[in-house]
Amino acid sequence: MTDIPSKMSARGVSVFYGDKQAVKDVSIDIDMDKVTAFIGPSGCGKSTFLRTLNRMNDTIASARVTGDIMLDGENIYSSAMDVVQLRARVGMVFQKPNPFPKSIFENVAYGPRIHGLAASKSELEAIVERSLKRAGLWEEVKDRLQDSGTALSGGQQQRLCIARAIAVDPEVILMDEPASALDPIATAKIEELIHELRGRYAIAIVTHNMQQAARVSQRTAFFHLGTLVEYGETDQIFTTPREERTKDYITGRYG
Amino acid sequence: MNSASPIARAPTDWNAAPMQKRIRRRYARERRFRFFGLAAVTLSAAFLAFLLITMVANGWRGFTRTDVALMIDFPASGMLVERAQLATPGADLALAGAGLENTVKSAAATAFGAGGDEFVSENAWLRVREAIKADPTVLDRKITILVPASTEIDQAVRGDGNAETKAAAAKLQQAGALSRHFNMDFLHESDSTDPVAVGIWGALKGSLLTMLVTFLIAFPVGVLSAIYLEEYAPRNRWTDLIEVSINNLAAVPSIIFGLLGLAVFLGSWSLFGYQFGPLLPRSAAIVGGLTLALMIMPVIVIASRNAIKAVPPSIRDAALGIGASPIQVVFHHVLPLAMPGILTGTIIGMARALGETAPLLLIGMRAFIVTPPGGFTDPATVLPVQIFLWSDEVSRGFVEKTSAAIIVLLVFLLAMNGLAIYLRNKFETRW
Repeated sequence: MTDIPSKMSARGVSVFYGDKQAVKDVSIDIDMDKVTAFIGPSGCGKSTFLRTLNRMNDTIASARVTGDIMLDGENIYSSAMDVVQLRARVGMVFQKPNPFPKSIFENVAYGPRIHGLAASKSELEAIVERSLKRAGLWEEVKDRLQDSGTALSGGQQQRLCIARAIAVDPEVILMDEPASALDPIATAKIEELIHELRGRYAIAIVTHNMQQAARVSQRTAFFHLGTLVEYGETDQIFTTPREERTKDYITGRYG
Repeated sequence: MNSASPIARAPTDWNAAPMQKRIRRRYARERRFRFFGLAAVTLSAAFLAFLLITMVANGWRGFTRTDVALMIDFPASGMLVERAQLATPGADLALAGAGLENTVKSAAATAFGAGGDEFVSENAWLRVREAIKADPTVLDRKITILVPASTEIDQAVRGDGNAETKAAAAKLQQAGALSRHFNMDFLHESDSTDPVAVGIWGALKGSLLTMLVTFLIAFPVGVLSAIYLEEYAPRNRWTDLIEVSINNLAAVPSIIFGLLGLAVFLGSWSLFGYQFGPLLPRSAAIVGGLTLALMIMPVIVIASRNAIKAVPPSIRDAALGIGASPIQVVFHHVLPLAMPGILTGTIIGMARALGETAPLLLIGMRAFIVTPPGGFTDPATVLPVQIFLWSDEVSRGFVEKTSAAIIVLLVFLLAMNGLAIYLRNKFETRW
């Protein structure tokens, strides 16, 4: 779609859980300056597909992935790819806020520390501050960095998780329904944050909420029963869907 | 309106007699359940209180000793000792050679009349020896030294024994020669044939060494096995088999582990025509520790696996998601969160090991050990075995010593559990 090669591109990706095929022959590009939303009814394979992008499916013994997923032209499923490094480059934010039961500071500092990104304590503190600022949480927690991360509210916890993902300086951020467990105000803050992060990171977001997809994304992929039904500019998908199934879904016929 | 429609049902009459009866029955069931629960708790508390009161009532005397004030007139005894030798390491030998034991006996006979030497313990002269070594000038005068009373007198003081010794004890008491003191020797001596002279230190040290070996083997091996099985091992028929085996091992009677320890560590092996003897010495803390470690390892593995399983998967996802390696996930996140549960399992296992007697009897830790073990390979015994041995003794004096030993064992157990609970709370508050 663009002349610049995409940050990540999936070509003919299928995912199997044992004999069951959860994702069927999906090809998608994720670009630097665009937020890509994956929508579709429950069980359509959108989360499964998202988790193949940083190989989180490796933790499920029965999962098997075929096809090619390229990150900067490098196949992430090739044996030369180090999965630990991959996950640092392709960060992830989960559906349920899952801060470590440690202090706010430690939550953010953990990633830089294990990857050795900070040479000194002051550098680490700078990374933590920058990450929390980018996640829009700094003003709320700057006076209580030593408090437990689990003591924050749900929306704050999720922004803490985003700060934690940002702290290792990823190139791509994958978000798996990041606002589905949050109230409308916290959701609005997360969406605002996604807007701000766009351009700095390539972002892919899975969501149940079609309005959210319309609000935050520039490109939308509609999944149904494991297949990619339609994939294009968000405006076009929501105004003039090419496929009948897409139209039925976004008009609330099923979902 | 169609009255047969399922929607048009009569409103529930909560005041109707059957309904009221049902409600009353439900409350009655609730009350009955609470009564039985409370009764069960009370009963178990009563048993515990009974045990503790009996032990303390019987045992406190075990920590004390009847002393006899014995007057010895050294110049009159005619005992000849080279003064210069008293400052040398040969002092003990010199005093023994000079007939100190007989001097003390005859002094007792002089002080308390014929048969008076029966009133003081056979070890009384050791006390006198210490007094002389501390201050050699006592050899030039008449002094009064507190020496331990014999078992007969000790028992007679509290109303046990035949009429003759009771009368003798009463006479001594009238003369003001008897007194009771806290028996420090009980805490730093070892086993003996004479109940007045026995101490618990040998067995206590044996228990300490054995528990140390058990912990150092069982805890790391158990926890690492649990981590491997939970976090790394593939789920297949082999791991299922291992799981079933571990669960079964946890239920194997302890004496069988004793036989295993006997066969493996103390047995003679013959491999490829080569004979090689016991791998480890008999009766040693290291063998006991290894055997008990085998016994409690399944308990630790099961408890640790459950604790690891209870760590929410979202924490693992979070750590993996920012690029932690599997071992970092385990040691930075899973293990600290599982530690309270792992420690609880370890306490249960260690408490079981501390109280275990049967397997240790088989590997020879029931020997009569007069000196405390100096290391892991020295002959040793442990507290529960010591209790077992003393409870088997004929002499009445051992009854209170048995109870005193039980108190020491319980205190050891409480100290161990206290330490574990402290560590557990520390881990819990840190997170």
